[in-house]
Amino acid sequence: MKDLLFEYDMQLDFAPPVEEHRFTLKCIPQTDERQLINRLDVEVYPKEFLSADKDSFGNHSIYGYTKGKHDRFFARVRGQARTGLAPFLPAKPEHQVGLFKYQTDYTRPGPAILKFAERFEGAMAECQKDHAKNILFDDSAALNVEDDGFRSHLPEAALAITMMHGLYENFSYVQGVTDVNTTAEQAMALGRGVCQDYSHILLSLCRLAWIPCRYVVGMLIGEGLSHAWVEVYSGGRWYALDPTNNLIVDDAHIKISAGRDYHDCIVSQGVFVGRTTQTQTVAVRVREGGEI
Amino acid sequence: MPEEFIYASSGYLAQCEGVMPPKGVYAHIAGIDLVQGRDKEWYILEDNLRVPSGASYPMIARELCRRSSPLTFQKTHIEDNRNYAELLRKTMDYVNTGGHTVILTPGRYNSAYFEHSYLAEKTGAHLVTGSELLVENDHLYFIDYSGRKEPVGAVYRRISDEYLDPMNFYEGSLIGIPHLYDIFRKGNVALLNAPGNGVADDKGIYYFVPKMIKYYLGEEPILHNAPTYLPLYKEDMDYVLEHFDDLVLKDVAEAGGYGVQFGNKMTRQEKEDFIALLKREPRRFIAQEVIDFLDIDIFENGECVPRKADLRAFVLMGEEPMVWKSGLTRFSRNPDSFIVNSSQGGGFKDTWVLSR
Repeated sequence: MKDLLFEYDMQLDFAPPVEEHRFTLKCIPQTDERQLINRLDVEVYPKEFLSADKDSFGNHSIYGYTKGKHDRFFARVRGQARTGLAPFLPAKPEHQVGLFKYQTDYTRPGPAILKFAERFEGAMAECQKDHAKNILFDDSAALNVEDDGFRSHLPEAALAITMMHGLYENFSYVQGVTDVNTTAEQAMALGRGVCQDYSHILLSLCRLAWIPCRYVVGMLIGEGLSHAWVEVYSGGRWYALDPTNNLIVDDAHIKISAGRDYHDCIVSQGVFVGRTTQTQTVAVRVREGGEI
Repeated sequence: MPEEFIYASSGYLAQCEGVMPPKGVYAHIAGIDLVQGRDKEWYILEDNLRVPSGASYPMIARELCRRSSPLTFQKTHIEDNRNYAELLRKTMDYVNTGGHTVILTPGRYNSAYFEHSYLAEKTGAHLVTGSELLVENDHLYFIDYSGRKEPVGAVYRRISDEYLDPMNFYEGSLIGIPHLYDIFRKGNVALLNAPGNGVADDKGIYYFVPKMIKYYLGEEPILHNAPTYLPLYKEDMDYVLEHFDDLVLKDVAEAGGYGVQFGNKMTRQEKEDFIALLKREPRRFIAQEVIDFLDIDIFENGECVPRKADLRAFVLMGEEPMVWKSGLTRFSRNPDSFIVNSSQGGGFKDTWVLSR
């Protein structure tokens, strides 16, 4: 368990200025069984109108409108979170998470991923066979992958972790070689990428084994950009895996949103009027501190 | 129903998951395509629950016929079909959340623009394009010709789901209204038909409709489906391969008469290629018995000739379901073709329902 102070800054600069700007932002973490959001301060500027809602995945979204000419638009989120409250998130019954089993345009495997997946064939087949089983795992137990009980009770999570290790060994973290439109297959063929690519590939692999899984956007201790990881459905729960860092998510991560892939979790989206060049700057800072 | 038929359907929109439209109506205007077999039985060919079009054509045809031959309508007992606008208005008013009713068109270059403007004129709704609507303070407004903002409570939208709202669906849409779906989710405006219906139009779902009727209503369907096979199921696949020449194969994601192929019209090579594709992607196709449907006479080059035809019935859902006592009869111009869609050169007729 950790108490974390977080700052999320997103700024758009427009040259020349734009008007009639409509935006949707999904950058606000929510309280759930794993994290408690204690303080939250959201500032969006400029805006004439701001409203809030939840999308179909349960993510908090804020949206609004800026009419007049502006050359800068920013969202600032400040707050404090207590993380690592539970090793998993309770999930809906299996028939209600079916949509997370299907490949999307981002995760659909091609030759590179299918070839990579061959090494997991045995375990994948086992997992598909076991799929109907829905054994509950002992609540208090920590995630010990080496534990035989873990493997037999949570075959999906165990397989996902094995695949995560395999991916980590065969994929390099390199910035600037992929972009937000890169698919899992493209990244796998390239062998390099960032957290979005790691996550999409792991999703693709899990879905090959018919394991429901989600793309997660959030923040990680330190300074930098927003982060992405994966949640895997196993034994009626969501287990969070961070394939970029090859670890099971504990208390260093603050979750913002989840969806089938990157596209469902786009942090900032907008339409405006103007012939312009826009520059987006994102700065995330998370540090320990600020007892609740 | 296998969940795959929902989640892997090209019409499935996850954004619509868990959203209840005003008064719980999803399919306000349904266009149901029927054919009559030689055995005089009617069969349902497909359901159209997204944006079924064509009601204006029998309306205008009747209007012109009544004008040019009023005696015909005095002497023959034909149900008056001029009430479609009234039924449509009732349907729109029933779900209106408070405000004006508008018909949203992609614009005058759209092939169905005549219908959009005609229905607007007949129902008294405003005909608007996306640029005349805006979302403000969680409500939808229409900007009238004097620049005034008027609240809108119901939108009969004649643009497809994907283009409706660039913030929630296809980002590149220039004809949509940003944040329209957000306020729909909040119940602040009605959209006819509700977005997300594409999943029900999927031809793979068609197979399950009679089963749904039995399961949910405990009733036997009155109208039959054309006998349909899902190659996804092994026994159906075996049947399809065995009776390939007797069947028509349809790509589930296509509409407008595209992606329809007849087993007996394929060359040997085409057949082999198709079967390979079918085995690779069984979910993508349905196979149906070719119904030997009744021809109707059309007048061409000065003589009456028989052609294949179908009937699109319009069913409107207001407080209760209403069936329009008319419909769009579509026929194929090509004597050898079963394809009646106007986008593929088909013609249309008014449909007279006899009142006694």
